[in-house]
Amino acid sequence: MNVLAAFDWQYIWDHRGVLFDGLVVTLKLAAIGIAGAFFVGLLLGAARAYRIPVISQVAGVYVELIRNTPILVQIFLIAYGLPKASEFFQFDFFTVACIALVVWGGAFNTENFRAGFEAVPFRYREAAYALGFGPIKTFLNISLPIGGRIALPSSINTYVSVFKNTALMVAISVEELTNVAKQSIDLDFRTWEMISVLAVTYLTLVWTMSALIRLLERRLAIPEER
Amino acid sequence: MNWFYQRLPEWAQPVAEYILEVGLKYTLIIASISVVISVVVGVLLGTLMTINFAPLRAAIRLYIEVWRGLPIIVTIFLLYFALPTLADELHLGLISEVADPLRASILGLGLWGSAQIAEATRGAVQSIPREQHEAAAALGFGWLGAHANVILPQAWRRLIPPLVGLSVGVIQNSTLASILGVPEVLEAANQQTNALAVPTVDPTTLEITGGDSHALEIYLGIFVLFFLISFPLTRLAAYLERRLAV
Repeated sequence: MNVLAAFDWQYIWDHRGVLFDGLVVTLKLAAIGIAGAFFVGLLLGAARAYRIPVISQVAGVYVELIRNTPILVQIFLIAYGLPKASEFFQFDFFTVACIALVVWGGAFNTENFRAGFEAVPFRYREAAYALGFGPIKTFLNISLPIGGRIALPSSINTYVSVFKNTALMVAISVEELTNVAKQSIDLDFRTWEMISVLAVTYLTLVWTMSALIRLLERRLAIPEER
Repeated sequence: MNWFYQRLPEWAQPVAEYILEVGLKYTLIIASISVVISVVVGVLLGTLMTINFAPLRAAIRLYIEVWRGLPIIVTIFLLYFALPTLADELHLGLISEVADPLRASILGLGLWGSAQIAEATRGAVQSIPREQHEAAAALGFGWLGAHANVILPQAWRRLIPPLVGLSVGVIQNSTLASILGVPEVLEAANQQTNALAVPTVDPTTLEITGGDSHALEIYLGIFVLFFLISFPLTRLAAYLERRLAV
């Protein structure tokens, strides 16, 4: 196996600097995307579950539009289409990437949180009202802790997808990990080295996150009612 | 389609024609072949996974976790850039041909899709009660006969909703082929905006015309196009899930 024999560890070591910088950008994008998706999903998911007029309908349309179109098309629309509509939408491509990830993850998370909040039995909230809790307090003390726990596994799945989607930013030349690796492939043709780095890095992070879901699922499982 | 093009502004007619007649064709080619690969490989692996033989189960589990875990674009890069070097070393001419952007994209989506379908098939096959296996055995079916004639026809019911969902995912992810330059819908749109962005100079009057990329209209157009394809399919998947719920 010549490929294995020719595998150049030194090449990877020599490029550790750029690869690390790429990984940092990837993680930054993922962190912003995940945090944004969390807040968008939480707010719009609550609005959907409790049928807050106007916001609920708008959120419904937003969710369907985003879930039924490819994220790559959304990225190009934000990067090249929107700036033509108004100067206001003129962003650098890192910002475009963040917006695209938040908009995409937020749509999927809205559904996760909506399902979570709707799964909270009505009698729990009834009990809170009976104890004199207002709607806000009921949400914060009853619906959020229980519904949030129900929504957690599916929302982590969405976060894993948001993380994987950072690799798509290679299409708009954001200097994230996949792009850095591809650039060095284009220059030096050390394909196996770079693809291995990509595969190992992404799989390690994705598998860690999936293991975390299983752990959390067990830890946070709501005890069976008897 | 002419009645449609004629209703568009003049600049948009060739653009729409190219996106729908070249782009959409490639998108549908990529999506349909990938779905077929996903179903054939996925159902096979998913069924094999129910056999109680640990090394085989572990190997299929690894296959599923790897192709589901990698971003699809990394899988496509792996097939496009890295695999041909290996194939050249091993003198496997057939595999080196994968180094075609179209084939690499189809195969990359197929690997991802087959991992999804394998997982769904495993669940569907395991949901068939033991008695069905025993009844098939009593009728004299071997493993293959029992699965082909008794188990899979019943498991199929549970597989339809995830299959429609997968088709939506594959159609959407077929846009990744644009990164390697396959002229599917998104790449067709990219090419058209780039072409429109170049102004034309009239050689006699030196009058400069054009130069507007129309990026907003074009990307919004393909956004709507994908929505029109996906939305009915996701509704169908949701409906089937309710309808076929066991």
